[in-house]
Amino acid sequence: MTQLRPDMFEEAAVRLDGVSLRYDSSEEILSGIDLVLKPGSFSFLTGASGAGKSSLLKLLYLAQPPSRGEVSLFGRPTSRLPRDQLSALRRRVGVVFQEFRLLGHLTAYENVALPLRVMGRKESQYRRDVEELLAWVGLGERLNKRPETLSGGEQQRVAIARAVVTQPNLLIADEPTGNVDPDMAARLMRLFFELNKRLGTIVVIATHDLGLIRQIDAPVYRLADGLLVQESGEKIPAARRRTDPLKAMP
Amino acid sequence: MKARESSLLPLEDAREAALFFVVGALCFLAALAALSAKSTYGAARAWTAEVEGEFTVSLSGADATAADAAARLLSQVEGVREARAFSDAEINALLEPNFGQSGLPADLPVPRLIAVTGEADADDLGPRLSKTLHEAGYQAAVDAHAEWAGDVRRMLSVSRLVALSIVALLSATAIAVIAFATHAALLARRDIVDVLHIAGARDRFIAGLFERRFWLLGLRAGTVGALVALASVAVLIAAGRSGAERTGLLPQLSLDFWDLAVLVVTPVIAGLAARIAASITVMRSLKSVM
Repeated sequence: MTQLRPDMFEEAAVRLDGVSLRYDSSEEILSGIDLVLKPGSFSFLTGASGAGKSSLLKLLYLAQPPSRGEVSLFGRPTSRLPRDQLSALRRRVGVVFQEFRLLGHLTAYENVALPLRVMGRKESQYRRDVEELLAWVGLGERLNKRPETLSGGEQQRVAIARAVVTQPNLLIADEPTGNVDPDMAARLMRLFFELNKRLGTIVVIATHDLGLIRQIDAPVYRLADGLLVQESGEKIPAARRRTDPLKAMP
Repeated sequence: MKARESSLLPLEDAREAALFFVVGALCFLAALAALSAKSTYGAARAWTAEVEGEFTVSLSGADATAADAAARLLSQVEGVREARAFSDAEINALLEPNFGQSGLPADLPVPRLIAVTGEADADDLGPRLSKTLHEAGYQAAVDAHAEWAGDVRRMLSVSRLVALSIVALLSATAIAVIAFATHAALLARRDIVDVLHIAGARDRFIAGLFERRFWLLGLRAGTVGALVALASVAVLIAAGRSGAERTGLLPQLSLDFWDLAVLVVTPVIAGLAARIAASITVMRSLKSVM
């Protein structure tokens, strides 16, 4: 595992300043959102279907520029960054998509290794790590299976393994436990917490699972009518406390 | 336990098989048009070079003896390589298509003909031949082949330009088809591009995947097209040789080094065109996203 460095905490922050988003000429989906995710924070994002959770996540993993405002990642405003530097920032972000987005022509092993290949790593450097990670999520015997032969839960675990294999500075997960049994859900949450605790990875989990949210002592951001509010209904202040979710782990 | 790594793009699908056929067919047509253009140009150059130094002298009211004397006189003119009077048999052979094999009426005044071959660098040879004969008292007309060969040469030049235009048009069409197909392939694989993009792949990395795929496709399709063109030309050459006696007016077909160079270059151009088109299409498409 990578050792914690002081500079990680200096730069590893996510900041949204007055961010709004609209697609083409439609109404704004997100309006004037201010958000700061401190280094090492662990947060939930919730809200009704269509509230804009996926759009907010897209802003966070730099798939979509805001219509207004500024998204800063790891201390760097992204609106004027050259494309290569945006790519470099994306390599520090792991994403678990709700619909998994596994590549159908690749095996489970190859799907998990994909971000490492993108980073230019040689297979001899990552083979053992990928195999161990897949074994850890219970897929050690299914390395060479294509996604179409895996169950929904197995595909989800492959997607999670792909998101964390690079030990990202920011992990964004959209309904990461939606297709797995409670034991596996707890195991996966433990993986997220390990990353958060050991590497200082900022974790943002979008979920409808109120049970999961209630079990864990972590800030909850709710999207409603295009605004980001706290569960209490207040607008999110510019800075949040750092939490230690592991204290609340079952 | 681990299988070998796969390409980040899926194996070729039906769309690429169709594209392979289209690119191969376009390369076949382009190679054939290029070979035709080159063959036409070569034939025109060889033929005009052959006739440009040729003159036909017709003597009115002269018999065979006078024609032989005139031929000897002309052979002494500076710049003349050879001057030879046509025999009766040769003149009859020339007139046979119009008068048949029964020969000419004895009382028909037929001019005697002298074939003159000049040196390639001889200037104003036609007027000097005419002057020499008139000074010697002959009633003669000198026909310089170069005058009408020039018309033929101009026509062949136009034919060559048309053939080159066809080559250019076919090449441009191939590039446009490849660009269109690349764009379609990109749209069909948007999911892969998105995943790679979000995983932090640089634009050049993603474009490189498509460039390699389409470079190989263009190269392979172009090779097939060029080989089919080579086979077609070989068949034409064989057919031309088997009927050589009756195809004398057609340009002599053959394959030389430059023809083979055209066939070798065709797939390389197709591959490069595919690669460049893929690169431009993918980079432009990626620029439209963050």
